[in-house]
Amino acid sequence: MTSFLVRRVVGALVILIFISLITFYLFYAVPRDPARAFCGKICPPETLELVRHNLGMDKPLFVQYWLWLSAIFVGRDFTQFGPCPAPCLGYSFATQEPVFSTIVDRFPVTLSLTLGASVVILSFGILTGMLAAWKVGQPLDKIASSSSVIGASLQIYFIGPLVVFLLVDTLGLLPRPSYVPFTEDPLTWFVHLLIPWVVLSIIFTANYTRMTRSQMLEQLAEDYVRTARAKGMSGRSVFFRFAWRGAMIPIITIFGVDLATLLGGAIITEQTFTLHGIGELAVRAVLNTDLPMLLGVTVVGAAAIVILNIVVDVLYAFIDPRVRLN
Amino acid sequence: MRSHRRRIATATAVLAVGALALAGCAKGGGGGAPSAAASKTPLENKAVSAITVGTAADSTGPAPEVPGAKPGGTANMIDRDDFSHLDPGRVYLNYNASVSLLFTRQLTNYKEDASGSIKLVGDLATDAGTTTDGGKTWQFTLKDGVKWQDGTAITSGDIKYSFERLFADFITEGPDYAESWLVPDPNKPFRDQYKGPYDGKELDTIETPDDKTVIFHLNAPHPDFNFTVAMTGYGAVPKAKDTKQKYDKQPFSSGPYQIVSHTTDKSLELERNPNWDKNTDPIRHAYPDKFHMEFGLQSQQSTERFLADTGADKQAFTFHNAVAPERVQEVLGNAEAMKRSIQGLTPFTTFYNINTKRVTDVNVRKAIITAWPAKQLQQIAGGEINSGKIATTVLSPTVLGYEASDQYGKLAKPEGDPEAAKKLLASSSTPTPTIVYAYNQTPTQEKITIAIKDALSKAGFNVVAKPLNPATYYDAIGPVDNQYDVYWGGWAADWPTGSTAIQPQFDGRLIADNAPNYTHLNVPEINTAIDEANKVTDPTAAGKAWAAIDRQIMDQAAIVPEYYQTYFGLYGSGLGGVRFDPIQGEQSALDIWVK
Repeated sequence: MTSFLVRRVVGALVILIFISLITFYLFYAVPRDPARAFCGKICPPETLELVRHNLGMDKPLFVQYWLWLSAIFVGRDFTQFGPCPAPCLGYSFATQEPVFSTIVDRFPVTLSLTLGASVVILSFGILTGMLAAWKVGQPLDKIASSSSVIGASLQIYFIGPLVVFLLVDTLGLLPRPSYVPFTEDPLTWFVHLLIPWVVLSIIFTANYTRMTRSQMLEQLAEDYVRTARAKGMSGRSVFFRFAWRGAMIPIITIFGVDLATLLGGAIITEQTFTLHGIGELAVRAVLNTDLPMLLGVTVVGAAAIVILNIVVDVLYAFIDPRVRLN
Repeated sequence: MRSHRRRIATATAVLAVGALALAGCAKGGGGGAPSAAASKTPLENKAVSAITVGTAADSTGPAPEVPGAKPGGTANMIDRDDFSHLDPGRVYLNYNASVSLLFTRQLTNYKEDASGSIKLVGDLATDAGTTTDGGKTWQFTLKDGVKWQDGTAITSGDIKYSFERLFADFITEGPDYAESWLVPDPNKPFRDQYKGPYDGKELDTIETPDDKTVIFHLNAPHPDFNFTVAMTGYGAVPKAKDTKQKYDKQPFSSGPYQIVSHTTDKSLELERNPNWDKNTDPIRHAYPDKFHMEFGLQSQQSTERFLADTGADKQAFTFHNAVAPERVQEVLGNAEAMKRSIQGLTPFTTFYNINTKRVTDVNVRKAIITAWPAKQLQQIAGGEINSGKIATTVLSPTVLGYEASDQYGKLAKPEGDPEAAKKLLASSSTPTPTIVYAYNQTPTQEKITIAIKDALSKAGFNVVAKPLNPATYYDAIGPVDNQYDVYWGGWAADWPTGSTAIQPQFDGRLIADNAPNYTHLNVPEINTAIDEANKVTDPTAAGKAWAAIDRQIMDQAAIVPEYYQTYFGLYGSGLGGVRFDPIQGEQSALDIWVK
C-alpha cells in the first residue's frame, strides 16, 4: 500500500509539472502581449517595456517558468503588484489579486456546489438505477429509464434559468442562488444552493441511473451470482450483498472523474447561477488571457483529478476484495 | 476616459457575452450583436447641448437638489465586471471612473444641468483653474472644508503628491498627459526625468506656495489642462495613506462614500464618509446611506433581473450593462420597463480606418466612403439602439466644438452610392483597386464583411477579406507596416475637447507601431493645424478650430465613420435620480436616491 501511494504521488507531481509547463508554453504561443493590458490607452514603447520588466516578461521563457515554479516554495516580489509570499502562484493579470488566495477564496463555493450535488446525484442515481435493475422490464424500470433519458437530454443553461424564473421570480419559494459560507449560516448556505444542486443533479443523476442499471444487470448475469442463487441464496440477498459491489467499481471510477471535473470548475453551472467559484474564475482567466490565473486554475483542476484518481484506486480495494493494490 | 466595446467569442452559448465597454482604445470588433428586428427605435439619443467652462459660483456646493429625493437606504449596483482599478492613478476605464466618483475627488469635474449642458467646474478647487500665459502655467485654489475620510484637511501638498506618485514604475495603466507635460523635456520619456516621490525627491514643476494653492508649470501651453485634471486618473491620494501597489484595493476617500469591503469579482460595499461636506461639492449628492455592488452578471442576466424587478433588484441600477440585444424589442414594447430605461449618446465613436500608407490615392479612399453600406451594416448590428447613430465626422457630438457635417452624403444615401464611387474611382490612379479588409472573425462581423464586400464590389473594388482572431486583433493591425487596407477601430476623447479626440489619432508625427494613428495619416497641414488648435485658449474658438480639422481629416478620407455609440440600459423601480452620464457614457450614481 505504501509503495503504491509513493509511486502514485511521484507520478502525480510529474503530471502536474508537465501540465503547467504545457499551459505556460501554449499561452505564449498566442500572438498577444499581456503587457498591453497594463499600459494606458496611448501606450508609449518605454511604458510597455517597463510593464514587461515589472511582470518579468522580459526574461527568457524558461527563466519565467522557473520563477513561477520556484515562487510556489519561496515566494516572489513583483514591481507591478508588490510582494507575493509562498505559496505564490503569481498575481492575476486581470484583478491584480494573488492567484493562490483567489483560488482558496473561490474553492469553498465550488466545493459546496460539488459536494451537495454529489450527495443528490449518488443517492438518487444509484437508488433509481438499482430499482430499475431490480424491476427490470417492469413499469418502474421504464419510468426510471425514460426519465433518465429526459434528464440527460436537458442542459443546465436551459433548465437553470427556467427553474430560477419559476421558483424565484414567479413563485418566490426560494431565494436567488448565491453562496453564503457554511460556517456563517448553514441554513442560508443550504437554501441558497438548493436550486444549483437540483439542476446539476438532474443532468448527472440521469447518467448514474443508467450506469447503475446496466452495471447491476451485468453483475446479475455473472457466474458468481448464478452460483450464489444455485446455492439457495435469496434474490434480495444476492442483489444487495454481492451484485452491487461489482457494479460499484465502474461507478466509482466515473464518479471520481466527475467529482474532480466539478471541483476543477463547474463552469456552466457557476456561470448560469452567477456563483463565483473556480469555474467562473477559469472562464474569466481564458477571456482575459490571464496567464497566472489560467495556470493556477489548470494546475488545481489537474491536481483534483490526479488526487481523486488515487483515492478511487484505493477505494477499489475496500469495495471489491478481488482488487489488490500491489 | 477610455471606453470601448470588446467582443469576445466564447465556446458555448451560455458563456456568450454581450458588448462590454472595457478599457482602452477600441478593442474588439465593431458592430453589435445581431438582432435584425431592432432596426426601428422610437428613442432619441440626445447629445449634450453645450460644453462650457463654469465660474467659481458654479463650483460651489451643494449640488442642486434632485426633486423628490430623500436620503437613506441602500442602492444596489449589478454589472458584469468588477472594477479593475480603484487607485486613481491607475484608472482610465469609464467604468472604473464612474464608481471612483463616489470616493475620489479631482481638482475639476463636470456638472450637468437640467437642460443637458455640461460645465467644467471646480471639484476640490474653487473654480475650474486659471491661466495667464495661454495655458503654460495653471493655478488652482482648494476650497475650505475639503477633507479626507479621517477628517484631515486635503492640502495642496496632497495634490502635488498625487501627481508625483504617477511617475512611479507600478503606475502604468492611467493617463500620462500631465506627466509628459510636467517634465522639462516633452520629447524624452517622463520617467527618465523624474522617478516619483518614493525616493524622497519632489517634482519642481508643481508649486505649493501655501496649503491651498497649487501651481502647475507645464513645458508647453495646454489651454485645456483644466479638463485634463478632471480625469479620475488625476484624483487625489494622501501621502500618509499611500500603500503603493496595495492602494489599488483600498483607496482613501475624499468623496461622499468610503469603501467598507471589496471582494474581487464578487462585491463592493460602500458607506457614507462622515467627513465629506456636501457644501463643498457641486456635483455629488450622496442620498443613499450605502451602496452594495455585485459583479458577474452578463447583460442577459441583468436584463432579466431588471425586467423581473423583484426584491433587492428594485433598488438596483447598473453602471454599464446595457439591455441584452435580444431583449431590446421586448423592452421597447414594455411601457412599465421603459419608464425605468435610460438612453444616451456616449463619447465613443467607431469607424473603419483606411490605411493611408497603402491606399495612397485620396480618390480611392473617397470612393470607399461613398460606396460604404452604412445602413445595411447598422441593420446587421441590430439597429441604432444596439450600435449607434450613423456617424459622419471624426468628432463625437459629445465633444466641445462638434459641428454636424456630412461631406460624403452618407445621411442622404446611407446605403452607399456605387455610381458616385465609380466616378471617383474613374478619376483615380486605379479604377479597379484591390482592398484588403481585415476584420474580427465573429458571427456578426462575418455578416458585416459580406455586406461590405457586396457594396464595394458594385463600385468596382476587389475586396479581399482577412479574418483576424478577436483576441489578437489589435496586435495584428498595430504594426505600421501591417498588410491591411481597411480595419475597424474606435475612440473616445479623454476629455470633451477636440485635442484628445483628434491629435492621438491623426497627428502624423505620432505614427508608431501600436500607436492610435491606425490610419497612418501624415498631412503636414493637419499637423500644423493641430499645433495651432492646441494654442487656442478660448474654449469656443478652440472648438471651432478642432471642427475645422475634423473636416480636413474627412477631406483626406482617412476613416469611414461608423457610429456615435449609444447606450440603452434599465434600472429598478425603487430608485430615483438614475441618469445617463454623457462623460462616462453609462449610468451615473451621483443623483440616485432610494424610494
